[in-house]
Amino acid sequence: MTRVERYLVPRTIAEAAGGLRDGNVTIFAGGTDLMPQSKSGKAKFGTCLMNIRRIGELRGIKRTASGFSIGALTTITDLRDSPEIKVGFPALWRASDHFASDQIRNAATIGGNLANASPAGDTLVPLLVFDARVVLVSRPNGALQTRTIPMTEFLVGPGKTSRRPDELLTAVEMDAPPPGFTSRFFKFGTRPALDISTISIGLGAVRDGEKLRNVRVAIGAAAPTPIRAPHVEEALEGKVVDGATIAAAVSAADCDIRPISDLRASEWYRHELVHNMLERMLSDVGHG
Amino acid sequence: MNVREKASGDTLIGKRIPKMDAPQKASGKTRYVHDINLPGQLHAKILRSAHAHAGIRSIDVSQARSLRGVHAVITAQDLPFQRPIGVAKDHLPLKRDRVRSLRDEIAAVAADTEEIAEAALKLIRVDYEPLPVVATAEDALRPGAPALHGEDLVCVNRNGTTEVVHRAAPGNVAMTFDYSQGDIARGETESDAIVEDVFWLHYVTHCCMGVSGVIAEFDSNGNLTLYSNSQVPFLHRREFGELLGMDPGRIRIIQPPIGGGFGSKLDIYPFEPIAIYLAQITQRPVKLVFTREEEFLASPTRQPVLLKMRSGCTKDGILTFRDVETVHDNGAYTSWGATTPFVMMQTISSLYRVPNCNYQTRAIYSNNPYAGSFRGYGNLQATFAVEAHMDRLAESIGMDPLDFRLKNAQDPGEVTPQGMNFRTCGFKDCLRIAAERSDYQRKHRDNVARWRDPDPIKRGVGMASMLHVGGGAKIYQSDGCGTILKLDDFAHVTLITGASEIGQGSETVLAQLVCEELGLPLSSVTVVNNDTDVTPWDVGVHASRTTFIAGNSAIGAARKAKDKILAAAAVKFDGKADEYDLKGGIVVDRRTGNGLIEIDKLIRSLHFSEKAELVMTTFYYEPPSQHQDKKFKGDVSAAYAWATQVVEVEVDTRTGIVRLLKVNAAHDVGRVINRLGIEGQIEGGIVMGQGYALTEDLIVDHAVVRNPNFRDYKLVTAPEIPEMDVSFIETMDGEGPQGAKGVGEAPAICVAAAVANAIYNATGVRITALPFTPERVYRALRGQAKPPVWDVGS
Repeated sequence: MTRVERYLVPRTIAEAAGGLRDGNVTIFAGGTDLMPQSKSGKAKFGTCLMNIRRIGELRGIKRTASGFSIGALTTITDLRDSPEIKVGFPALWRASDHFASDQIRNAATIGGNLANASPAGDTLVPLLVFDARVVLVSRPNGALQTRTIPMTEFLVGPGKTSRRPDELLTAVEMDAPPPGFTSRFFKFGTRPALDISTISIGLGAVRDGEKLRNVRVAIGAAAPTPIRAPHVEEALEGKVVDGATIAAAVSAADCDIRPISDLRASEWYRHELVHNMLERMLSDVGHG
Repeated sequence: MNVREKASGDTLIGKRIPKMDAPQKASGKTRYVHDINLPGQLHAKILRSAHAHAGIRSIDVSQARSLRGVHAVITAQDLPFQRPIGVAKDHLPLKRDRVRSLRDEIAAVAADTEEIAEAALKLIRVDYEPLPVVATAEDALRPGAPALHGEDLVCVNRNGTTEVVHRAAPGNVAMTFDYSQGDIARGETESDAIVEDVFWLHYVTHCCMGVSGVIAEFDSNGNLTLYSNSQVPFLHRREFGELLGMDPGRIRIIQPPIGGGFGSKLDIYPFEPIAIYLAQITQRPVKLVFTREEEFLASPTRQPVLLKMRSGCTKDGILTFRDVETVHDNGAYTSWGATTPFVMMQTISSLYRVPNCNYQTRAIYSNNPYAGSFRGYGNLQATFAVEAHMDRLAESIGMDPLDFRLKNAQDPGEVTPQGMNFRTCGFKDCLRIAAERSDYQRKHRDNVARWRDPDPIKRGVGMASMLHVGGGAKIYQSDGCGTILKLDDFAHVTLITGASEIGQGSETVLAQLVCEELGLPLSSVTVVNNDTDVTPWDVGVHASRTTFIAGNSAIGAARKAKDKILAAAAVKFDGKADEYDLKGGIVVDRRTGNGLIEIDKLIRSLHFSEKAELVMTTFYYEPPSQHQDKKFKGDVSAAYAWATQVVEVEVDTRTGIVRLLKVNAAHDVGRVINRLGIEGQIEGGIVMGQGYALTEDLIVDHAVVRNPNFRDYKLVTAPEIPEMDVSFIETMDGEGPQGAKGVGEAPAICVAAAVANAIYNATGVRITALPFTPERVYRALRGQAKPPVWDVGS
């Protein structure tokens, strides 16, 4: 059993990044994943515990030249209450609305949801649809260094990310989607609240007459990380959403997903759900 | 008789009365056992087994004992006179040389803080010799399976002699039940239609909001006080006396407000004697409270059942026979779950008239968690099977399912072959009213017509009914309850009852019944019900008995008090006692209705007179019910409760998710005493039944509980709760208090059975295993389900 020897409460990103240099630091933000995981033994505390909740500059949704930057400490409730998110990024807004419960949404942060890197992480699927980038800050030798990487590079495996131990996840950035881009998110759980996705699907595209352009599809809880589904995207890109297209897209999903069997569902059932729910979402798109 | 709420200023019966403990609970002021801390108290933690089945070669507690802040570490070795607990006395609180499940208690620590106790547990070294795990009852019955209780359990008495306290159970058979009526062979020959199925009823657990906990304290005279949430304090007092080799009279059980019972506190579990042993050794108060994970792993479950049923009827829709065999997975030790056949056979033999009936159960040891009693007590399982067959038989002879049920339903006045006498019986009214209010027959027909419809969302209605004891159950020598009632010189009533409040609202109902007799407002009653040194004997909270038994007892005491007051009035006003009555706190003249004197004033005049008398009475009520004989025959309850529930569901055939939209419930409750309370009981019971049907599933895989947390064990959440329409059928039971029957368990019983029938009505697919989680339903719809099979011999 490791003992926590130091407890740090930085007030600025620079201070926090400095504190991370020593290594073996456990970062605490909302605590909604960390606490149950440490209790069950799944997560081990490092010798230093860093509470980043008092770093004011980490919280909030800001406009940038190309779109928006969401601070790592922005809570899921903040996302759900944000008119910019609701209007500009409906799939992300829907995911935050279907996220756990009020109490958890009030505490949980988007940075934590990213860093936890659960294959079923609710916000990760829409963030993939919006081609989001993760901002990581370190302070290797006094000066702050920033690394910005796409979601697909950030998510490495279940609970694994490409964040280095000396890096602080400070924000996630999204460009404003192209004009006419619409997005949807669907989460299947066994109950409407307080549930972890059995599977989830994010869908975004620009409707060009009858055709779909700029199609982006992401799927959660069907592979070691939430994934983009390139085969599904290819089957839809530039196509009219009719029965044949939907059938092709649904069967293409098999090339993209690699679900497992666990407590929540069998591999077979996850395959079936991805098929049926993708079909349902695409039929809805096809109908208007 | 569907009695509507009546407006009457004169009576408290049938009114909507908030529970007396509601303000305290709603404001967070209630002090549960978790909130109680005694001066000098130590905290205890239990070391449980790392293996589901293993021999214990050695236990080294030396490091744990030397940890600072640790006051005692105990194992079976420190307790030479340990005696077994449980229904079959096959279970030592601390295990000696063998563990039989992952919940098994190996050692326990008492320390200054919980954290120290926890740290000490990690320092205990146990050398195990792993043994083959018996993961299911089927495995336990295979030839050559390890015998889990293959040897006699021998204990050493305090006088040095030894005693066999539990006989070896060869073949892992813990308990058997065998009941029959009529002649099955004859029933088969008379049948035009026969159906047969195998059902699997799964593991669920109570999920009380308050986790299990106890505080044990010995005073300097060696008297033991327990702060315990026992549902049966008087029986447990005696059992603790036997366990500890002490006079039960020196054991006092104080029951703090409970965070949920539902039957889970009907047995003694190892943590309770363990806390007592630690208190004895340390001579300090010892508090032991479970974590939520422990609550999932080490509290009892509902009895899982594999059930094979064969039923028949004539082409005119008359039941001919029912043949049932079950295997109960007993788990590692025997608690009340093994005895659920008592209730199951009642439903199977007597819910509907069935002239020929066999019922057999084998309770089989395994390395799984063991089952206890749980609201409904086997009746959810039995009703699930019986009501599936009522629908299947009706379909096979082309009869409407409601008409088929009405043809076979019991009537008032029937005495069943099992000996139950249905003096009042509103069953047919329940069937008719639930069907009418839900438009069952029309919807049932229309839904079948839509089976081939392309819409992926299907709708279904399903019906199920239940019979349960409603006037106590004579399981023990007495099924009685005592009351002490005192009226002080301000006419304030202290009602001292043996009946425990476990959240069911008994305090309020008892106060109502007493005030009804004494013509006093509810605010003038204090109920005392939580201390065995004060309260008179009661058999405990089980079998939906408290309103009926404790209610009659309270009425008896109140009537004696009233007699005394009226006698005093007769002396004072020079009349006869029956010329007076008590109303609104005043003695009134019966003929004129005129008030004569305030009750408190009259009581004071009685008290401060030369004769100096107080108004204090006692009453003991014993219901006129019978013990069952060895063939399980006898009129076990003083009244029987009935209900029909019709549920409406929506099945999404693309995901398998089943939404429960509406429940129309019609309950024969005898009479409504507290309308608000009974609505709460019924709504809560329906939601518990909904969880059993749709979401709750304690996943026990190779003797391991895989989901010991509320994330993966899914209770129903608020948005899933259906619309409910509850009708009360008031049959005015002649023995019941103000006509009432017990209703505590009834509402949970039918839901799963009705949902199964509704899913069939929606989709044409019959699922015989619970729960109806999306994947199970989806598999069944796609022909990918593995239905339960009977591979347990006979």
